[in-house]
Formats: sequence, C-alpha cells, structure tokens
Amino acid sequence: MDTVLLVVILLTGFYMAWNIGANDVANAMGTSVGSGALTLRQAVLVAAILEFSGAFFFGSHVSKTMQSGIINPDLFLSDPKILVYGMLASLASAGIWLQMASYFGWPVSTTHSIVGAIVGFGLAVGGVHAIYWGNVGYIVSTWIFSPILGGIIAYYIFTFIRKKILYTLNPFESACKVTPFIVFFLVAVLTSILVFEGFRNVQFTISNTEKGFVVFIAGLVGAVISHFLLRRMSSLQTVKVEAQFSPEVVESLQKAKKHLEKVKGKTTGELQYKVDLITQEVTNLSTFLDHQREQISHTHGEYSKVERIFGYLQIISACMMAFAHGANDVANAIGPLSAAVEILTTGIFAIEAPIPLWALALGGTGIVIGLATWGWRVMDTIGKKITELTPSRGFAAEFGAAATIVLASRFGMPVSTTHTLVGAVLGVGLARGLGAVNLNTTRDILISWLVTVPIGALLAIILFYPIHLIFG
Amino acid sequence: MPLSTLLNLFGRSPFVALQSHMDAVSLCVHKLKDLCEALEKKDYALLEQIANEISSLEHTADVIKNDLRNHLPKSLILPIGRENLLEILTIQDRIADCAEDMAITCTLKRLEILPIFSGVFKLFLHKNIETFDKAEAVIRELHELIESSFGGIEAEDVRTMINEVAYHEHEVDLIQRQLLKEFFLAGEQMNHVSFYQWISLFESIGSISNLSENLAYRVRMTLEVQ
Repeated sequence: MDTVLLVVILLTGFYMAWNIGANDVANAMGTSVGSGALTLRQAVLVAAILEFSGAFFFGSHVSKTMQSGIINPDLFLSDPKILVYGMLASLASAGIWLQMASYFGWPVSTTHSIVGAIVGFGLAVGGVHAIYWGNVGYIVSTWIFSPILGGIIAYYIFTFIRKKILYTLNPFESACKVTPFIVFFLVAVLTSILVFEGFRNVQFTISNTEKGFVVFIAGLVGAVISHFLLRRMSSLQTVKVEAQFSPEVVESLQKAKKHLEKVKGKTTGELQYKVDLITQEVTNLSTFLDHQREQISHTHGEYSKVERIFGYLQIISACMMAFAHGANDVANAIGPLSAAVEILTTGIFAIEAPIPLWALALGGTGIVIGLATWGWRVMDTIGKKITELTPSRGFAAEFGAAATIVLASRFGMPVSTTHTLVGAVLGVGLARGLGAVNLNTTRDILISWLVTVPIGALLAIILFYPIHLIFG
Repeated sequence: MPLSTLLNLFGRSPFVALQSHMDAVSLCVHKLKDLCEALEKKDYALLEQIANEISSLEHTADVIKNDLRNHLPKSLILPIGRENLLEILTIQDRIADCAEDMAITCTLKRLEILPIFSGVFKLFLHKNIETFDKAEAVIRELHELIESSFGGIEAEDVRTMINEVAYHEHEVDLIQRQLLKEFFLAGEQMNHVSFYQWISLFESIGSISNLSENLAYRVRMTLEVQ
C-alpha cells in the first residue's frame, strides 16, 4: 500500500509542477515575448534552463516553509502518516482548484491555493494550535506587500530610465552611457543571489569577502562586455538607411490617382475599364510606398534604437524572472511532496533535514516539461497580445517583480509571481509608461485572495478523509 | 494562473480613439475648402450636398467621442491626466462643430462672395485650415509621446510644433482684421441679412484656429519640458 501511496504522491506533486510550468511560466516570461526581446523559441529555452536552476539552487527556502513553516509537524509524531495524507490532500486540492480556476479564467494563484490547503488540513486534523499563525500572518502580509513592492521598484526603475535616458536630448547616447551601470547592477544582483544563497545545498563554501569579490568581478565583467557590445551597436547605427524617394513622390502619386479617378468618372465602356485598372495599380503603388516610408521612419527613430538596447537588457531581466519564478513556485509542488515522501521512506519527519536535491530536481523537471508540452502555447498567446510593453517598460516591470520575488524567496515567503508582476506593471503605468493600464485587475486579484484560501482549505479537508480511508 | 490576468491589465488605449476622432474632425474641416469652391461657383446644389456631408461627418466624430467617453473608466491609469484627455477630446469636437456651423450657415440663405473681399476671405479660410492641420499634427505625435513618456527630444519637437500653431493663430488674427476691414467697406453692397450671415460665418471659421491653439496648449500641459 505504501508503494501505491508513494506513486500517487509523486504523481500529484509532479502534476502540480507540470501545472506551474504549463500556466505560470507564461505569465513570467510572456512579457519578454510580447516586447520582442526574445523569440518564442528563445524564451522557452531561457525559461527551461533558468526555471530549473532557480528551482534546484534556490527552491529550498520556500519549500522548507511549505513543509514545516505552516503547520507544526511535531503534532503528528504519534502517527506521522496523517501528515502524509494531509500533504497529499493539500496537493490534490490545490490541483483541482487551479484546474477549475483556469477553466473559468479566475486570477487564482498556485501559491495561495496550496497555502490555503495546508492550513485547512492542519486545522481539521490538528486543531487551531497546529498552525503557526504568526508565520501564516507573515505569508499573507507578503501577498499584500509583494505586488506593492514590485510596483514601487518598477516605478522607480522606470522613472530612472525616463530621467536618465528618455528625457535626455540624445536618448541613444545616454542609453549607451547608462546601460553598463544597469548591467553591473543586474549581474551583481543575480550573482549575489547565487553566490550568497544558491549554492548552499550543493556544499560550495567560500568566505564572505570572497563572495563579495566574486559578485563585484562578475558585475564588472558584465558591464565591460555590455560596453563593448554597445560600442559595436552604435557604430552600426551610423549607417542609416534613407528612404529611396522623397515625400513629394507619394504626394504626386496621390494627385495622379485623383486625376485618374476624374477620368474614370467621365468615361464609359472599355476606356473606363482600362482607366480603372491603371487607377488600381497606382493605388497599390502609393500604399506600398506609404507603408515603406512609415517603416523606415519608424525603425530609425531615436527611441526605437533605445528600445533595441533594452531588448538586450530585458533578456537578462527575463532570466532573472524565470529564475525567481522557479525558486519560489517550485515549493508549491515540492514542499508538501518531499515532506510526505520523507515520512513514507524513513518513517519520521525531521524538521531540520534539508529538502532533498532529487525533490528539487523533480520539481524543476516537472516545470520544464509543463513548459515544453503546454506552456509555450500560452506564452505565444500572451506574447502576441501584450504588445504595449516595449522593452524598456518590460524591463522595468520584470526587474521590479523579479527582485521582489527573489527577496521573498530568500526569506522563505511563498508569493504569487503573477500578482507581483501585475503590481510591477501598474508601477510602470503610474510612472507614465503605458497607454492605459486597467486597475480593475487588482479588484479581481483581491477577490481571488479572499476566495482561494478558504476554498483551498475546504477542499483539502474534504479530500483528506477519503484519502485517509483508502490508504489508512 | 490563467493568462487572462495579465492580458486584462492592458486596457484599450484611449489615444487610438482620440486619433480616429481627430481624423473624422479633419475630414470635416477639409471639406470646407470644397464648400468655399462651391460658394464661389455659386453652385448651390453642390453647396447643400457638401454641407450635408460635413454634417454626417460631424455625427461620425460625435459617435467616436461618445464611445471614447463611455470607455474611459476611472480605473484606467493613463500617462496623462483624465481631465486633460477629456478636455482635448472636447476641443477637438468643438472644432468639428465649428466646421458644421459654417457649412450650415452657408446653406441658410443664398450667399454671394463679393469680389472686394473674396481673395482675403479664401486666404482667411485656408489659414484657419492650416492652423488646424498643425494642431492635428500635434495630436498625431501623442502616440510617439507615449513612447518617450512625454519628455525628451520628442516633447521638445512637439513643443516647437505647438509654438507653430500659436504663430499660425496669430497670423489668422492679422488676416481676420484685414478681412473685416474690406468686408465693412463692402457693407453698403449687401442687405442686413447677408451682412449678419457673413459675420457669423467669419466667427465660425475664426473659431477653428482659436480652438486649434487651445488644443495645442492642452497637449503642452501634458509635456515634461522646462
């Protein structure tokens, strides 16, 4: 019976990870596809690599919280198997609720469902005292603060971009000057996450000064590389493609069209037919030229050059986003799973034991498979529909969200990636970055908070008893 | 998390609708040239027809205006103030109203351009339309302004364009003074009704440049330049 239970748990956990990869990754990365910073293929590749590394190297903090930060495992010492059933019930309840939410299109977060489910099962089985209410309070407060913090960071990043690049008299040159500093900052943040925290679970220890040194050097290398790349880009930019014709050409064609139409009106029969053919040809030619001229003037605007630079920067922020997402969301599947598996295999649950690496790898793999089998499709849809986010806006939003999520992951706080990203996009909107941002989404998110936790809890309780009956 | 969450975040940009409203207004205003030609040729049937066309174009603009107003909920975060946007829309709409007023006034009673002021009248009309064109170009720049977040060189360009509108408006004022002088000279050659008809015609036309200037200044208020 235990083997069957083990298989069921692994399958459910894997299904959760698959679900995260299939639906949530698209929200994290779709903005990059939408802004054209990454093609769909590149985005899927980047997401796969970084989601996995985020989950593998950095996923243990939040997983730990899920495992033993919400309910007190000591209460189950007499019959640890109860905890196994509970974790399975939590996973299943979150899975069912998410499926329903996807079907109806509600902005429900994986994180909120699983936390709600664990709290519900803990309440039902262990009573009020089984729950660490203080921790749950912290977690809930991070759900509120993470979108706000994401918004604030994105707001200031975009304000910085505005003041230092967009508002200068030569935006492209300013962008070339400022970008190495941004890259330094970005790479330093990324490597400090990795060096200070990430390698803990792979036994890779160096002293703090050395770590600081590594971070500084990595940032510097990034900045220097970006500097040279930018120099190459600006020398390429000087070769401008001029329009092959003057605007008068277009105007003359318009006039010719007008006169031809006059002729057409005054003639009949075969002559009119012939004139009509010529008119059509002229119309085609003039729309073609118009289109070409528009394209040339569009692609050679000063701002579009700036956006191209931000396209490259956004690749880095997208990586950060994927990493942060993997680090935070893998816990939703792996936290309950690894606790259950540990009890099943060893018979006891050791609170101090680290999250096993194989579990993190399993979660990472599940996310990547979800992405490969379904998530890319969702990403494509989102990418095609979000065209308002140009690379500079996308960069600000992604950076704000990713920084917040990484910070939350460091403190073991399970937050919702999408809600944080929504907050960040609102921040960019408030900084005069976007045409129209709809605040109504925040209302939907608020409702989903209020609904998801109780429903997740209720479902977990309902599922717990049949599972207990079947396997107990 | 279903994908609609992020997608719902991006509302319908009101600037596209603002632009298409301006396109409709522009069609109205540019029809005035044809109207003037018909008036000169004393082709009153054509005049009537053009006036009807302008009237229906003005209605199209109204429909766009109402649609835009109805789809501008308070929950939208816009890069410019809501009241600014609505004010811009209102001024644009008033320009279309002026064009319609002129067209209608022409059809109320058969009107004759007297040679003594016909030259300067045409100049007056064309200068007004030109001022409007400059203001329309400013509105066209709104899209680019979003990209530069309403500052920087793009905003400087737009500011120059706005100054141009103001300069054109000033030129219109000068022409109007000239026109009125010549018109009053011709006062004895027409009856009171025609006299009044002409005066209200001048007023409607003159409003086009005045409103264009207002429009440009409204856009100026959204810019972040020194």
